[in-house]
Amino acid sequence: MMVLLVSVTVLLVIISAAQILKIAELSAISKGVKVYEISEKDNRVQAVLMLVFLVFYFSFFAWQYLKWSHLMLPVSASEHGVGVDSLMNVTWLFIIPVFIITHILLFWFAFKYAFKANRKAVFFSHSNKLELVWTLVPSLALTVLILYGLNNWNKIMTPVNSEEDHVLIELLGQQFSWGARYAGDDKKLGRANVNYIEGANFMGIDSTDNNCKDDIVVKGEFHIPVNVPVQFVMRSNDVLHSAYMPHFRAQMNCVPGMKTQFNFVPTITSKEMKKITNNENFEYLLLCNKICGAAHYNMQMNIVVESKEDYAKWLSSQKKFGSSLPNPSEGGALVETQK
Amino acid sequence: MASITLQDLNTKAEIRKKTAKPLLWIGIVSIVMFFSGWTSAVIVSKGGNGNWLNIELPFAFSLSTIIIVLSSLLFHYGLISIKKDNKKMLKLAVSLTLVLGLLFVVSQFYGWKELYSNGIVATGSSSTNASSFIYLITVFHVLHLLAGIISLIVVSVKSYKEKYNSTNFLGVEVSIIYWHFLGALWIYLFLFLKYIA
Amino acid sequence: MSTHHHHDQDFLFKYVFSQDHKMISKQFLITGFIMGFIGLIMSTLFRLQLGWPGESFWIIDKLLGSWAENGVMAPDKYLALVTMHGTIMVFFLLTAGLSGTFSNLLIPLQIGARDMASGFLNMLSFWFFFLSSVIMLISLGVEGGAASAGWTIYPPLSALPQAIPGSGLGMTLWLVAMALFIVGSLLGSLNYIVTILNLRTKGMSMTRLPLTIWAFLLTAIIGVVSFPVLLSAALLLIFDRGFGTSFYLSDIYIGGQVLEHNGGSPILFEHLFWFLGHPEVYIVLLPALGITSEIISTMTRKPIFGYRAMIGSMVAIAFLSTIVWGHHMFVTGMNPFLGAVFTFTTLLIAIPSAVKVFNYLTTLWKGNIKFSPATLFSIGLVSTFISGGLTGLILGDSALDINVHDTYFVVGHFHIVMGLSAIFGMFAGVYHWFPKLFGRMMNNKIGQLHFWITIVCAYGIFFPMHFLGLAGVPRRYYTNSEFPLFDNLLDINVLISTFAIIIAFGQLLFLYNFVFSALRGPKAPQNPWDSNSLEWTAPVEHIHGNWYGDIPEVYRWPYDYSKVDENGEYIGGKDFIPQTTPLYDNETDEAH
Repeated sequence: MMVLLVSVTVLLVIISAAQILKIAELSAISKGVKVYEISEKDNRVQAVLMLVFLVFYFSFFAWQYLKWSHLMLPVSASEHGVGVDSLMNVTWLFIIPVFIITHILLFWFAFKYAFKANRKAVFFSHSNKLELVWTLVPSLALTVLILYGLNNWNKIMTPVNSEEDHVLIELLGQQFSWGARYAGDDKKLGRANVNYIEGANFMGIDSTDNNCKDDIVVKGEFHIPVNVPVQFVMRSNDVLHSAYMPHFRAQMNCVPGMKTQFNFVPTITSKEMKKITNNENFEYLLLCNKICGAAHYNMQMNIVVESKEDYAKWLSSQKKFGSSLPNPSEGGALVETQK
Repeated sequence: MASITLQDLNTKAEIRKKTAKPLLWIGIVSIVMFFSGWTSAVIVSKGGNGNWLNIELPFAFSLSTIIIVLSSLLFHYGLISIKKDNKKMLKLAVSLTLVLGLLFVVSQFYGWKELYSNGIVATGSSSTNASSFIYLITVFHVLHLLAGIISLIVVSVKSYKEKYNSTNFLGVEVSIIYWHFLGALWIYLFLFLKYIA
Repeated sequence: MSTHHHHDQDFLFKYVFSQDHKMISKQFLITGFIMGFIGLIMSTLFRLQLGWPGESFWIIDKLLGSWAENGVMAPDKYLALVTMHGTIMVFFLLTAGLSGTFSNLLIPLQIGARDMASGFLNMLSFWFFFLSSVIMLISLGVEGGAASAGWTIYPPLSALPQAIPGSGLGMTLWLVAMALFIVGSLLGSLNYIVTILNLRTKGMSMTRLPLTIWAFLLTAIIGVVSFPVLLSAALLLIFDRGFGTSFYLSDIYIGGQVLEHNGGSPILFEHLFWFLGHPEVYIVLLPALGITSEIISTMTRKPIFGYRAMIGSMVAIAFLSTIVWGHHMFVTGMNPFLGAVFTFTTLLIAIPSAVKVFNYLTTLWKGNIKFSPATLFSIGLVSTFISGGLTGLILGDSALDINVHDTYFVVGHFHIVMGLSAIFGMFAGVYHWFPKLFGRMMNNKIGQLHFWITIVCAYGIFFPMHFLGLAGVPRRYYTNSEFPLFDNLLDINVLISTFAIIIAFGQLLFLYNFVFSALRGPKAPQNPWDSNSLEWTAPVEHIHGNWYGDIPEVYRWPYDYSKVDENGEYIGGKDFIPQTTPLYDNETDEAH
């Protein structure tokens, strides 16, 4: 209802404005004025509006920042995320001053140099010196940003060293839910492929592969220990998905027919984060961030970060994949194997 | 409203003279980009696939290569002839080129037949990307070649009507540029499929 | 090709199958605007859903019918609307509508040519585009709905009707329409390039070309290089969808069964798509930049600052645009080293862009600015180009992209830098060259009002999206109130949607002004803006061949505004010297 009311009002205002302006034009034409020429008075009004807009734009920017900055993602819950956040902040330090200065210049010049019949514009067609300055200065600034950025990028993209103490988790996207599989004690994920999908085995794990016996498959929620590197491997059963864990500054696409990977070290437990965000109901989430179908907007999984001990306890309470097989000798015959 | 005068009609002819070849050249650039899209797709697909099938190209494709090179040479001889106002030679050269062009298409069909009888199919469950790409690329080359054949037909009809002479042979030139391009494109695709894919 | 050179050519050949570049230009403009308005309405509809999720709206009920039960659109139809909005805006409004209109109108007129190199190809170019538009619109009405896989149509989603209903007939028609569109666009580009390179009038050297022409030339070149690759990508998708090949598909389990497709990779599609997709950004943007360069110079009564640097930066942007596509794919699992290379090339684009911005600013400095609606939109473009371009530094940086990739931050960024800049450039161009298009003047006051409503609402829509993105809201979500994480962001969505409704109505001002002025506006004088460039020496009425008698000869660059002699008096007595004026005795041609 509110929307309808607003719409009708806006429509009426616009129609009447157009009518008034058009009538003004017609009457001007009848007086013999060249209507397409912008009068000096009109020009003055537009010049002032330039300044008004500048003020509006900056205040709008400030207002949004003040009103919404506390709604942004909380402090990074992963080790590399701290680096990402500080890179982000440094980038803002470059961007915001440039944004402000160029906008002041733009609208100030527009205001100051509005047309006056008795003034001449200055014929100033080029200056190698100036152009050199604004080629070199951005180049230098960019060099800093690129080097800083790539330094972070390389660190983030280096997989976990397999000899290091770590957790290996496979994330599987499918329309429209997530599954997670832990490598188990042998730190190896059993072979998996869509051809093995059958009943509850939605991840398509090949039960003939011995590495899969101790694998643990969970849905709805997965746990990770704090301060231990987590190596993720991503897969998809059907279309593209993207495993997006915004609180950890982590994202990687899930591509059917391909394995992708990402890793991070969680640093803040779910409990601590509830305190930081001042929100009892806070949960870390794994979201789907690549359009994947009708329920794309509702494809998520909770992530629980907890102490090593709690994690170990939770993990031991989960069912191992091997134990779900009715009879190990029949396991492989469920689906005709390929390759 | 103003009208176009006779003088402007001359301008039209002049515009055509000035722009026909550049239009074709830029068209060729876009065709090159079209095929390079696919040839780079082959490289990307091959790189990401451990089971890439290396396919032996059929003998007919080599034959096609020889045919198309011959046809280009012949056509070029026709161009040289008409520049010397030798209309008879042009007729002969263009008609033979046309025949060779059709032979090329026939030879390609034999090539596909050979591939097919070797169990290399374009689609379906027994196809692989390697086999699909071979058919796709060669078929689309032939589709582009059909445009060349149409232009050859036009040029041969016009040459039989003696429309060309040593001062007016733009049509022949345009047709020949495209034909040479098709030949060069085929040689590139042939070598690519043979040695890279 | 026969040309029709009679006064009394019948209606069909004058208005429909015209080979005259000015008529084709108008055809592009009007078709583009119709498509644009449809795209705008779509966006308003899905903004209603995002602002007030799940609420029933009369208008949605009426317009969407079976797509929206009880006035609430279905989730997959939301995606269909988003997809079609993107496709229509990017390709139909901002590629064909913008480039098609102004390249056609201005290239022959500004370089001094009778018409395009090939009027016939030019006509074909429009008709391919028109047919493509019609098919795209028809696809809205087919069973399963229109294409719904996002405008980037990533397979497998776009390849499998089992994955989303829109990937059935709707997607087939989408692909057919795009194939026709590409052919039309290529035919146009061929013509633009050859005309510019071969048909310039006497004296019109490349360094005397207006910047508009340089922009159109580079746009056409990028088009010729990148559109064919999209065609080859689309063909592979067509084969995957209909003929059982597996170029993009592998290991898929959907609808309870494993598909036969094996060995392909969706990443291949992404590479091919973005090899066009990124240059496409500049296909959209460069013409707008060219148009505003011309307008800002004319309306500030100053030469454009750094003419050669402007050309140089456009060339650099055009070149770089073809080697940065990977920045759309940082999180697809690409080789990290490749990611680093793409970061580097991407951020390099900031340099020529910065040069352009500072050159615009310097052009305004000490000018004598007349605020026509075209000037306002041009200044608006500089603002959006800065505001949107700067956040590109974040998205282009692979490490930062990880967390904002595919969020509303991206939506805000590209709508401002590409969407707004391009549409502002298009509006500026329409206001400025309306007298050339229709021989009449538009109403300035309504135009100015249109500008202020548009820019305020546009920032009101897209600026807050950055905050949504930084809060981690993914794009293409039907609603973000499904789980509690984003609950407190609903206010932002309400604000955005409110602005979206106002801006949609605001465009009615333009529509009214456009239609009314085209039919009844005051008659245009020959050179209403006291401009130097060649198109204003042509008669107001449209004639075949553009000029009575000989084509004028050119003696100088187009930016001799407010040129003074040593006594500070205007050379030639006025604050502008048209390109057709020979050099005066006391004058040197060292301006650029």
